[in-house]
Amino acid sequence: MSNSNRPKLAAVVTTFFKYSHAQHIVDRFLDGYGWNGAHHYPPMDLVSLYVDQVGQNDLSRERARRHPTMKICPSIADALTLGGSKLAVDGVVLVGEHGNYPRNEKGQTRYPRHEFFEKIVKVFRTSGHAVPVFNDKHLSWNWEWARQMYDTSRELRFGFMAGSSLPVTWRIPSVEMPLGSRVSEALCIGYGGVDSYDFHALEAIQCMVERRRGGETGVESVQAYRGDNFWSALREGVWPRQLMDAALTRSHTLTPARKDFTDIFPTDDDMRRLVADPVAYRYEHADGLKCTMLLMSGLVRDFNFAAYVNGSQDPWSTQMYLPMPDGRTTLANFFSPLVNNMEKLFLTGRAPYPIERTLLTTGLTAAGIESLYLGQKRFETPHLAIHYQPTKESTFWRT
Amino acid sequence: MLTRRTFLQTSLRASAALAASGAAAPKRIAIIATVYRLQSHAQHMGDRFLTGYPYGGAWHKPNMRVVSLYVDQTPEGDLSAARAREFGFQVYPTIAEALRCGGKQLAVDAVLLIAEHGDYPHNDKGQVLYPRYEFFEQCVKVFEEDRRAVPVYNDKHLSYSFEKAKAMVDASRRLHFPMLAGSSIPVTWRLPALELPLDCAIEEALMVGEGGSDAMDFHALEGLQCMVERRRGGETGVKAVQLIQGDAVWQAGEAGRYSKDLLTAALSRSDTPLGLTVTDGRTQDLVASHELPKLVKSPAAYFIEYRDGLKATMLMLDGAIQDFNFAARLKGSQEMWSTQFLLTPDPNVTYSACLMHKAEQMFETGVAPYPVERTLLTSGILESCLTSKLRDNARLETPHLQVAYHPPRVSQFAQT
Repeated sequence: MSNSNRPKLAAVVTTFFKYSHAQHIVDRFLDGYGWNGAHHYPPMDLVSLYVDQVGQNDLSRERARRHPTMKICPSIADALTLGGSKLAVDGVVLVGEHGNYPRNEKGQTRYPRHEFFEKIVKVFRTSGHAVPVFNDKHLSWNWEWARQMYDTSRELRFGFMAGSSLPVTWRIPSVEMPLGSRVSEALCIGYGGVDSYDFHALEAIQCMVERRRGGETGVESVQAYRGDNFWSALREGVWPRQLMDAALTRSHTLTPARKDFTDIFPTDDDMRRLVADPVAYRYEHADGLKCTMLLMSGLVRDFNFAAYVNGSQDPWSTQMYLPMPDGRTTLANFFSPLVNNMEKLFLTGRAPYPIERTLLTTGLTAAGIESLYLGQKRFETPHLAIHYQPTKESTFWRT
Repeated sequence: MLTRRTFLQTSLRASAALAASGAAAPKRIAIIATVYRLQSHAQHMGDRFLTGYPYGGAWHKPNMRVVSLYVDQTPEGDLSAARAREFGFQVYPTIAEALRCGGKQLAVDAVLLIAEHGDYPHNDKGQVLYPRYEFFEQCVKVFEEDRRAVPVYNDKHLSYSFEKAKAMVDASRRLHFPMLAGSSIPVTWRLPALELPLDCAIEEALMVGEGGSDAMDFHALEGLQCMVERRRGGETGVKAVQLIQGDAVWQAGEAGRYSKDLLTAALSRSDTPLGLTVTDGRTQDLVASHELPKLVKSPAAYFIEYRDGLKATMLMLDGAIQDFNFAARLKGSQEMWSTQFLLTPDPNVTYSACLMHKAEQMFETGVAPYPVERTLLTSGILESCLTSKLRDNARLETPHLQVAYHPPRVSQFAQT
């Protein structure tokens, strides 16, 4: 057995194949990762793994063979109790991303994060104690379930951390929103699909704007725009064009709008030609801040943020940089700062940044999808009156 | 609260706005290129002055006008004529005519010399004989005849030959025109945004890169040079170099000729490990796992002994990684200083915008933001390393590389 001082972790995942979230995350615990100029091995042992769907391309069995201290377990309860009757690990990594799960009529993939979480919590309850949990990405596709997960973590008083890599990855330039700034408008341009990368872009915005004066006050309403409505909204200036332009200048992946050019700023007509299915979520916080999340697949392949800060008319902007293994890199190293923050959770028992951020972005994702489902109608969000304060310290990757 | 960086973001735009409102006449630029086709250096860099480029959170349009172009070769895919038509400049049949815009006197305010890509012969050292020196000499001839000289930016190394490179720098001194040269690596983003402290005492420095000789090794060597030049006393020049290849590279590591800890530190910054990462996505400690020798079929180590005693190593590890990473240890400290020089993806290659911003700055102010001696020394190091390769990997004394200079006090890499 491993040194008893080292925390023991269980990983509970949907599926485990090359470049799946589970592979990125679990491998960093097993094989280490580059950190601060060294190959860093987390000072903890991932001792059990539950995989819900084991496909042809599964890698979990290879990992278990190579790392015999990690046991493959047939159930979530077994992974947490290590085959005994009581909770036997010091932390749980829940990765409910990828795998074949049904979609609902709104286009949401019903990843079983809530179901897995409930099974984890059942062990906590029967064992009479709870340990920290990391939940990858949003809490649940279903707002009520997400809220339950949050409430349960408060009831049982365990450290609960969740979310995307976007808030913790490199920024180019390496800037932080000054704590206590006045922010009037914020925007992120990203790519990918609804109920997928929209969540990442929302977290990119939220990790910045939560640092504004007064902290987070919650969101009152969300309005989605898609297709022709998107282009009308762009034309009518529903969101500040200047912020959109500033965010685009932070991109390293602008699709050349003209043949025979390699890096050229797109016109409206160019964008319309390049982006087949644009999506915007425009939403208003209780303190008046307005935010816009844009998905523009076909135009960019990165996530870029811009905001009006402290009354300046000049946008403040950066890129949340993802070294993406889609041909650009081979290693999705944006998972390294995420795992590094998980280590802090498991070592201290406290989440390095507030779970309320991800509770809110979970609700925003669902609300954006709801607005789309309602025919791009404004969707009131009284349930998103979520108040919290950000961490004083920056938690993004700088070293 | 205004942090230093938010201040920079704001003040950059303020100064840009000031420059724009100053209503100064746009500077007239001549581009001298080997070829101008899609994704050639000339297209990436020349286009920045035609269509603008991303800088500091805005799409920056230089207050400059390309008025003339010379292209040495017009292979299939040549864009020079189309660019001239669209942007209203002339393509001239000779460099002198391009600089004089068809008239009798020098008629431009700056020259962008980009002699990379195109069909040129190789020498026995494997160097492509790009006519940088020859193009530059023709520019200098015009400067001398017309009794006026203007700033020149020269892309990449000055020449495949140190002697010619030295003559280029000497000409710029003699005629008092500012000159800037080199790679994008020193000025691109770094992950993390790390700079060695000015006047630090460097124990040992190491760079890893990939991509073959006389193209990418130059970039890697200049990345190394822009870091180590910040050491105490500034740059003093290079005493000797040696290029070794094959298993000797691994044996040198075992023998401690370069630090495996530094190599681990540099590789820890890579986002592109190959081998098992490509197979199944796993992370790897390529040094401890002994995977490197399996992955790298033809390793090369470039050893550089500086005149002040510093020893630095550049490893070309084709097959192991696909990015450029640096590590150093400072005297009296076990801490590793390591970073990746981020080469952003094709086709935007926004790092070339970082570089052209420096050229623009020199064209605007008449002052090179960093010394051309960096590129002169790097050109010489590369040539001597390739000579070492040709002479059975012998260590070569390099008394001609007594290139001393001081680094810029202000960091020049992209941070805003």
